[in-house]
Amino acid sequence: MITLPLLSVNDLVMYYKTKMGYVRAVDGISFTLDRGESLGIVGESGCGKTSISMTLLRLLPENGEFQRGHVYFDDGSGPVDLIGLPEHEMRKYRWKGISMVFQAAMNSLNPVYTVGDQIMEAILNHYPDTSFDEARAKVAELFKLVGLDPKRMDQYPHQYSGGMKQRAVIALALSCDPKIIIADEPTTALDVIVQDRILKEMKRIQRKLNMGMIYISHDIAVIAEVSDKIAVMYAGKFVELADSVTIFKRPRHPYTFGLMSSFPSITGEKKKLFTIPGEPPNLLNPPPGCRFAPRCPNATKKCSEEEPNFIEIEPGHFLACWNPIKQEGERA
Amino acid sequence: MNGEYILEVRNLKKYFPADRGLFGRVRHFVHAVDEVSFEIKHGESLGLVGESGCGKTTTGKVIVKLEEPTSGELFLSGENVGKYVGPRKRDYHRKVQMIFQDPYESLNPRMTIFDIIAEPLNIHGIGNLKEREERVADLLQEVGLTPPSSFMWRYPHELSGGQRQRVAIARALVLNPTFVVADEPTSMLDVSIRTGIMDLMMELRQAHDMSYLYITHDLAVARYMCERIAVMYLGKIVEISETEELLSNPLHPYTRALLTAVPVPDPEFSRGEPEIMGSVTKPIDPPPRCRFYDRCPIRTKDCETSDHPPLVEILPGHFVACYEVEKRKQG
Repeated sequence: MITLPLLSVNDLVMYYKTKMGYVRAVDGISFTLDRGESLGIVGESGCGKTSISMTLLRLLPENGEFQRGHVYFDDGSGPVDLIGLPEHEMRKYRWKGISMVFQAAMNSLNPVYTVGDQIMEAILNHYPDTSFDEARAKVAELFKLVGLDPKRMDQYPHQYSGGMKQRAVIALALSCDPKIIIADEPTTALDVIVQDRILKEMKRIQRKLNMGMIYISHDIAVIAEVSDKIAVMYAGKFVELADSVTIFKRPRHPYTFGLMSSFPSITGEKKKLFTIPGEPPNLLNPPPGCRFAPRCPNATKKCSEEEPNFIEIEPGHFLACWNPIKQEGERA
Repeated sequence: MNGEYILEVRNLKKYFPADRGLFGRVRHFVHAVDEVSFEIKHGESLGLVGESGCGKTTTGKVIVKLEEPTSGELFLSGENVGKYVGPRKRDYHRKVQMIFQDPYESLNPRMTIFDIIAEPLNIHGIGNLKEREERVADLLQEVGLTPPSSFMWRYPHELSGGQRQRVAIARALVLNPTFVVADEPTSMLDVSIRTGIMDLMMELRQAHDMSYLYITHDLAVARYMCERIAVMYLGKIVEISETEELLSNPLHPYTRALLTAVPVPDPEFSRGEPEIMGSVTKPIDPPPRCRFYDRCPIRTKDCETSDHPPLVEILPGHFVACYEVEKRKQG
């Protein structure tokens, strides 16, 4: 039997409608995600990474217009195109199929309910047959899973530290046994020592439950730690996607290379960092051709006229570039 | 006082009232900065690194005199500036400037870029309008906002985050300061923009013969920007050393944990497990013992009963505040 990937996203396009025109936040994104696999989406603010997750979960604001594309979700019972589903059908997949740890998760807990009640609410909503006691037992189990003391489930969010809130939000995301979790900047507001613990915890839980994970971050060091494969996003598009070692050691897209070389590290030799000239484009009116062309050291005339396709240049390595970095130009 | 240093900080303390009892009597204090001493050489950049709430920003604010210290002394080029009032205090404010973290908050949205950068000149009564325009244009050129004429009359909302931070840098430089406190100037910026700002700040430091106190939570950024790094924990400096020495030979257990916890942009690199317990406690009326005691993996009985350890020079230029490290080095 051929098993399809857990999630296959094909040519997903979503624009925000504004008075000035369409903001092309998600413009032709394709990727797959398997069970037990983690994908990191890395890009700068405003490149559309959060919009991808909102489109996948169909949690778009009013002006978010889905244009085209497919999101096939297959938990073993056959592929379903989430995009085509009516809202009441979609609800079965939201949280149970794909759940999310939101950005600034620490503030996504309701301050007037206990943490335990909030997680129970999610469970009782999605599994109406569950009894109160069963739901409480499940919350206690989730607390243990994410490294929180179950005694704390009757406390309010303000009684938690930042790291504990983050754990609670992860427990909430796990509450309906999702197959996929999208974590949007899950540790951005945390101090490094807490960040380290949370990332390790998430990796451990992912392995234990064999889930698919999508990490979204601007921080390539965090992405490097948790991802099996990495998609580099620029101005609404993926420019490169490959396993994480390839992305870091043999990047082919000049933007990927620029991003990797502009990040300081505490290890290795101290070297001069690379600066990518200019600024990211406005997605209301992106430049013609390759969107990175105006900032690209390799750009030619063709780059600013014709848009490069996102093609598989070697197994599992996708690239959208007319003049990629030569293979010999390997980074140490 | 030694002429080698541009800035010396001696036993600096800054306590904030944590609550007020009946009749406004303050019962508890947050020990934001507690007996901190360090010095910065001419032309040097010292990194002040620590987690949020450790007191690094308060230290910066006391140095630029946005906050009055509870006690302690401050020397600029060997002169005690603690009692400065009137014109001498104004003079101090000319020489010591600060760059803030958030370029979206630190620029007045109702002022043009020219007004923002020229305001210090206005306050100190320097130059006439024409001279100020020339000065601002020169600075815009220097911070890479070219041509200056196309930026001068715009408002902050018309600029990107990176451009705004360049404006904030230009404003800090307009009075020709000798010392600049930079409080996380790049942490709000995108990766591809950040490097440009860091490089700009290093170029300007050389060109204008300035010294920096560079406050950051990011050790990798501190490594890139600073000759020396001081690590702060709950209001205390626990370790201070030359940058590469600190990163390759961290001695204080907190520094070691911090370094192990920093994610490395290399998927093949595997880090160890940071040896640290619990989480940061609030610095409200902390007990006199070592601030790191509750989380320390190498604490002993003595640590509990002794006062917070002093900074001791364990290796040349490498200071650590830890009884155990000291003992092990001797033994």
